[in-house]
Amino acid sequence: MKIKISRHYLYILLISVFLFLFVIIFSFGILIPKGKQYREFRQELRKENVELRKYQDFYDETFTTLKDLQSKNRHIITAFDTAFNPDRFEKQHKVFFSSLHVSKIARSKNEEGFATYEVNTTSQMSSPKNFYDFLDALNKSDWIIGVNFPIDFKRDGEMIKSSFTMKVYTNNKDKNSTASGSVAK
Amino acid sequence: MKYSYIKPRKKTPITPELQIIFTFFSMTLLMLFLTYTFLLYKDYTFEKDRYSIIEHKKELKVSIKKMEKQISFIQKQKALAEKIFTQNMVLKDSIANLFDLVPQRITLSRAKLLRNGLILYGITPNKDVYNFMLQAPLRSIFHKTYSSFYPAKNGWLMFVSTNYMDESQIEELESED
Repeated sequence: MKIKISRHYLYILLISVFLFLFVIIFSFGILIPKGKQYREFRQELRKENVELRKYQDFYDETFTTLKDLQSKNRHIITAFDTAFNPDRFEKQHKVFFSSLHVSKIARSKNEEGFATYEVNTTSQMSSPKNFYDFLDALNKSDWIIGVNFPIDFKRDGEMIKSSFTMKVYTNNKDKNSTASGSVAK
Repeated sequence: MKYSYIKPRKKTPITPELQIIFTFFSMTLLMLFLTYTFLLYKDYTFEKDRYSIIEHKKELKVSIKKMEKQISFIQKQKALAEKIFTQNMVLKDSIANLFDLVPQRITLSRAKLLRNGLILYGITPNKDVYNFMLQAPLRSIFHKTYSSFYPAKNGWLMFVSTNYMDESQIEELESED
């Protein structure tokens, strides 16, 4: 039996087969792998987004903690940052004494990672109560200062002469060396 | 001369069958290419978004580390400041206690507070007053107490009381602070 197909239909059939094959190869060879890759990328992006959200939450939490800590300890933070100024110190604290003199600032060894300066102080007061008030005021002053031993109280007529050293604590940065510089003048 | 009554139909290579096939395949190919272009575009945006997320994550990591450092530094500052404030308050109480310890009949001329001891200079009417009213309480606080007397012009006795604490007790007190 002989099948008779006209040339025109043969061309149509050939074109159809060619296009069909192209569609099949394109779909299975390129489009479907690309689709898979798309799905993988989407999944990966979702994971990254979830991770980013976690980071963002942790960042927000840390930021809140830091701001809270900064606002609660503003006085301490500023005090550690402030360079010691003996003139200002005398001005602020002379109300507790008949006379107050702060002299000789010397850098001593670091303590707990903070720079420390030793200051010699001599004063005259009428009663020990003045010294108690001074110690109270010291905790509220512009610097972090601890009164050190030895403390010498000597009777001088109706007055008490006192001499003691104070330790000033500042942040251990290079600018602290300027603290002693500003003090020296 | 006419051989037919109808008009002859124009013959073109684009027959209706071919038109249908072309239409079908062109639509199919268009859809395929559009899908492919969409996927390419999406891959590009995903990659771009992923890169920006990674960058953002890196920035957040750096910021978090920086903030954590700041937090630990502030906590360190706070701990040290509180320690110093407490030491100042303890010192204030110690001095107040010392002056409360001295009885009315004994007059101090000098008091030297040391890290591990106390030296008192003063005047007492007699040794008994000193021993019962000042030395007894001092002994209960300090481990070593030494006293020396010498006569004053008015017949009273001038004294120097030297008192020391053991190092272990000082460390104990400091750790309590």
